[in-house]
Amino acid sequence: MGKISRRRFVEGTGAGVIAVTAVPLEAQQKKSAATASGAASASAAPRTKIAVTINGSKHSVEVEDRWTLNELLREHLELTGTKLGCDRSECGACTVLIDGKAMYSCTQLAVWMDGRSVQTVEGLAKNGKLDPLQQAFIEHDAPQCGYCTSGQLMSAKALLNRNPRPTRDEVQHAMAGNICRCSNYNHYVEAVIAASDTPSAKGGKA
Amino acid sequence: MRAFANATPKNLTDAVEQVKQAKQGQKSVAIAGGGSDLLGMVKDHLVSPDVIVHLAAIKGNDTVTELAGVVKIGGNITLDALSRHPLIREKYTALADAAGVVGTPQIRNAGTLAGNVCQRPWCWYFRNGFPCFKAGGNQCFSAAGENQLHAIFGGGPSFIVHPSDTAPALVALDAKFHITGPAGERTVAAADFFTLPKVNAAKENSLAEGEILAWVEIPTAKPGTRSMYHKELDREAWTHAIVSTAVVLELDGATCRSARIVMGGVAPIPWRVPEAEKLLVGQRVTPELAVKIGETALIGATPLAKNRYKVPLAKEIVRRTVAAVAAKA
Amino acid sequence: MNPLKTAGHPTQRIDALKRVTGTATYTSDKHFPGMLYARVLRSPHPHARVKSVDVSKAQAMPGVKAIITRDNCDVVWSSGDTRNKRYLFNNPVRYAGDAVACVAAIDRHTAEEATRLIAVEYETLPFVLDAEEALKPEAPEIQPGGNLSADDKGKREAEVYKRGSLDRGFAEADIVLEDRFQSAHHNNAQLEPRVSIALWEGDKLTVHAATQGIANCRTDIARDLKMPVENVRVVCEYMGGGFGNKNQCQDSDLMAAVLAKKTGTPVKVEFSRKEDFISVHGRWPVTQYYKVGAKKDGTLTALQVRGYSGMGPYRKGRGDQGGPEVYQCANVEQSVTTVYTNMAVSANYRAPAYPHSVFGLESVMDDIATRLKMDPLEFRLKNMTRKYRDSVEYSSIGLEQCLREGAAKFEWKKRWHEPGLDTGNIRRGAGMGMGGFGSSVGKSEAILKVDSKGQYHLYVGVTDVGTAAKTTMGLIAAEELAVPLEKVTVHWGDTADCPYSVGESGGRTTSFTGVSVVEAAKQLKKQIAEKGMPKGSDMLTASVVTDPDTKGLARYSFLADFCELEVDMSTGHIKILKFLAVHDSGRVINPLTAQSQVQGGVIQGLSMALHEELLYDKRRGIPINAGYYGARIMTHLDVPLVETMFIETDDPFGPFGAKTLGEPPIVGVVAAVANAFFNATGRRIKSLPFSRDKVLDALGKKEVLA
Repeated sequence: MGKISRRRFVEGTGAGVIAVTAVPLEAQQKKSAATASGAASASAAPRTKIAVTINGSKHSVEVEDRWTLNELLREHLELTGTKLGCDRSECGACTVLIDGKAMYSCTQLAVWMDGRSVQTVEGLAKNGKLDPLQQAFIEHDAPQCGYCTSGQLMSAKALLNRNPRPTRDEVQHAMAGNICRCSNYNHYVEAVIAASDTPSAKGGKA
Repeated sequence: MRAFANATPKNLTDAVEQVKQAKQGQKSVAIAGGGSDLLGMVKDHLVSPDVIVHLAAIKGNDTVTELAGVVKIGGNITLDALSRHPLIREKYTALADAAGVVGTPQIRNAGTLAGNVCQRPWCWYFRNGFPCFKAGGNQCFSAAGENQLHAIFGGGPSFIVHPSDTAPALVALDAKFHITGPAGERTVAAADFFTLPKVNAAKENSLAEGEILAWVEIPTAKPGTRSMYHKELDREAWTHAIVSTAVVLELDGATCRSARIVMGGVAPIPWRVPEAEKLLVGQRVTPELAVKIGETALIGATPLAKNRYKVPLAKEIVRRTVAAVAAKA
Repeated sequence: MNPLKTAGHPTQRIDALKRVTGTATYTSDKHFPGMLYARVLRSPHPHARVKSVDVSKAQAMPGVKAIITRDNCDVVWSSGDTRNKRYLFNNPVRYAGDAVACVAAIDRHTAEEATRLIAVEYETLPFVLDAEEALKPEAPEIQPGGNLSADDKGKREAEVYKRGSLDRGFAEADIVLEDRFQSAHHNNAQLEPRVSIALWEGDKLTVHAATQGIANCRTDIARDLKMPVENVRVVCEYMGGGFGNKNQCQDSDLMAAVLAKKTGTPVKVEFSRKEDFISVHGRWPVTQYYKVGAKKDGTLTALQVRGYSGMGPYRKGRGDQGGPEVYQCANVEQSVTTVYTNMAVSANYRAPAYPHSVFGLESVMDDIATRLKMDPLEFRLKNMTRKYRDSVEYSSIGLEQCLREGAAKFEWKKRWHEPGLDTGNIRRGAGMGMGGFGSSVGKSEAILKVDSKGQYHLYVGVTDVGTAAKTTMGLIAAEELAVPLEKVTVHWGDTADCPYSVGESGGRTTSFTGVSVVEAAKQLKKQIAEKGMPKGSDMLTASVVTDPDTKGLARYSFLADFCELEVDMSTGHIKILKFLAVHDSGRVINPLTAQSQVQGGVIQGLSMALHEELLYDKRRGIPINAGYYGARIMTHLDVPLVETMFIETDDPFGPFGAKTLGEPPIVGVVAAVANAFFNATGRRIKSLPFSRDKVLDALGKKEVLA
């Protein structure tokens, strides 16, 4: 597979833990300053400074208390790989890992992430090498429109971290919170099994 | 979303204090457990808090502890952790079962036991902004409307069903709820915590202003006790129970010493059926008896125009669950 | 059929890497400097006159930049209603969810809060939700001229198709069955909610839309904003599903354009999930009355169906009802009446006219077979179409093979039993449904270039809604050019450099644009043969327009669906045990993505059969379960393994004989489920969806056939 194009601001942060990444804070503040001019409502909204680790990099950012994690990622850190499908904990397109657990980023406040670690789809590939799940998703044609795919990947990732050899039934349970309206569920499950250590009928990894 | 401030309490006392202070400052307060449900309600303008007190931020109130005669469960334990906890799975199976079938994995990872017990109804009228009792209004739109999923017991003037899966299990396990609030701490039996609409149609439980469900205590299971929770859904994940039941049997060999049967999805509170329970005491659970238990459990049901199907369904679910628990012995 | 070299083999999507790394850029992922966010205020009433809209408080809110209402915006959204004028903001409002105002502000929170400060005074009007009710004389008039919606020639009457004589047909019949079937409004529910971004540079407009067809979206926007089409550019690089509700231009495209013009800054209009359910559109609910006659030997003698389609208050879709054309019958009469109601708007959702209508048709056919003590498979083999409407030859037809080979693979003879024979609490049954879907050919364009390094560049106006259309187009070009797929770079999704394509609707991209791609490749090969490969920075370019016809032949894809399920008689729980979908879509260009299409369509159909309905409070005319939770859309835990099988007929048209595949997978699914339920339990449910209350009510009754 080809090299993965990383987003501009993630470049150079590396996978290691960096004390403080100034870029996002500056970028975020610049954007707010640009858009919030004369906006009493925005300036009146309570804000809190948080330290959050995202895909291995520490970020110190000031957030409005009402921002969801999804909003922080997508609108302020330019991590748009995480999608927003329902904004109500109903569809799973926004699934990320928080301290390793799959959760809906649309109903977690950004301010609640202080001191926590978040992993998004952008953090799956390491050093330009795809995660086995991503490779299997490609090979099994798991994404159709692709809008739910990031969420499906993150739920699958949480499962395999905990259980490297899941059964088909365990995969379906672990991913029950991720709707795919293209309804490519069969291919998603096949792909997760293929990426796991579960021996598959087709002579997969034993 | 409307702007609000997030408050991060250090401990339960601090949480109560923060709620109190906000209220004294004429601010509306909402308490968040996992937040999945609360934030949806805020987005839908069903609640409009000035301050959200984030209970899940409190460290340490998320464990299961065995004490003399009781098991104490912190209100902050996630539903996922509760459903996987070895002791709960082995001895208080109905609670582990119930926690494991709430919503989706993502909701169970975020959602807490206290939050699940205290969640607001999922009646589609309430959730869609109708000015019903639950929203501070003075009518129930389901009574003569779309009431397929509504109460067949205990309804009136509101006909919601209690949405929690863990609540019927906790009532069946004879849990006590420890509540902390501005007036101090109090303890209430789970069965008395939940209140019918005829008591107060706007609420589902006896929590007073500023009170928080802190932790839950379950009496140590007696030898021979087995339990299960069965949830009937209309898709296999992420719906609330159409009908559910928690069954706890104390068995001596094949003979039942005591029984607690509580239904979910049928009433505005977890619905215990003492008459059905009595039939089990001192009896062997035969297939015929299980049928009778199911029949008895539904005596007195008053279905609405569109939820008559819940009666035979609930009978069957009670029958099956009683039989299944007995078969585990 | 000639074997193919590049096409015809399972091939990964050319953009799969982007889709699995989060780097595919969807419309909602885009951000432009200074961009404003806009939110829509909607009517809470199903029918009301808007007496006044007071925006002063909202306007005064800090951060609010512009507000449009009917008072200052009279843009007509012609794709929203192709019969009457549908404004962006209508007065009266005609359904709960009709737009009243749109607010642009510095962030979405401000925009959303500002909509709540707009004071609207309504005078509520009587409303009607049901199509047949809406035709009664006492029903409130929803559109000028009455609730019977006019056809495209302006005539207000039912659309009727006839052949033979019903009187003769029923006279010849040994048995006649009559029945009524109903379906629900259900939603496309694609994961990506409606979103549009508009930017102006002088008098030039760029709209980043979530659309199924950039070319038509562009011409529609130009038409509605009264602009020259060349001043409009539409971009859609990645699209998060639509299944028919992102055809044409959207009201959000127009609102964004108007607000961007007004504010001089880019504007992004976003719909919430609930708005997407209520205020875009879903499939039209139908009520159908069947009367069918047959002889003792199973020969159909008469087929009459009278149908009503509830369109909501605006005519955005055709409202037609399909199915009968797959049956051979001398005497047929079908009428469809399209009716305005005060429900959410109904229009295209995957195979728009089919799965609900085929549910009714195939249920009746199964009942006839049952009465005649015939195996439903034999009944269908006897009566299936041989010629379109018994008169026009098909360009290719694999329906009989779908039935025979599908039945063999499914082990139909083993799984199907006489209805109601199964006893006990868990009852198994098998059912089937068959269908067809028109696979027309038509006008499209393609541009193919080659550079001096031997890399080919294909420009096609597709957006790839999830169907793998880009990959399909690349494969077709590679096949004709006889080069590996990697040698073809596909350019798509931008009207600035992509030529006309009909868009991904009606299952037409492969048949329409694929033909253009083949022709472009042929012409480019000819140029290369004549001129040699280009040198330096030169390119050779073939730009083609193709508009083939089928020379008087009917061109259809065909399918047969087989379902086995079990029913828990005491709880009403239905479990799908096995599902086989057999498709004649001609040549399959990419078996890997074709399987995805079929499995996905089947599961959408299962979800439609068992769960989905936009439910209304009948007394207030307000929907009460919009969203994924309320619609009970199937999850990972609900779905069976869907088996697929392709009958590759040799069709003389289309690229390498490929026929339509995107829409057919849902056509027969609901019917197969309904018939399997009947086979298992001896009970027939006649209204969709098969919700638990209906199932238990049906099971509580005596068997139909007892």
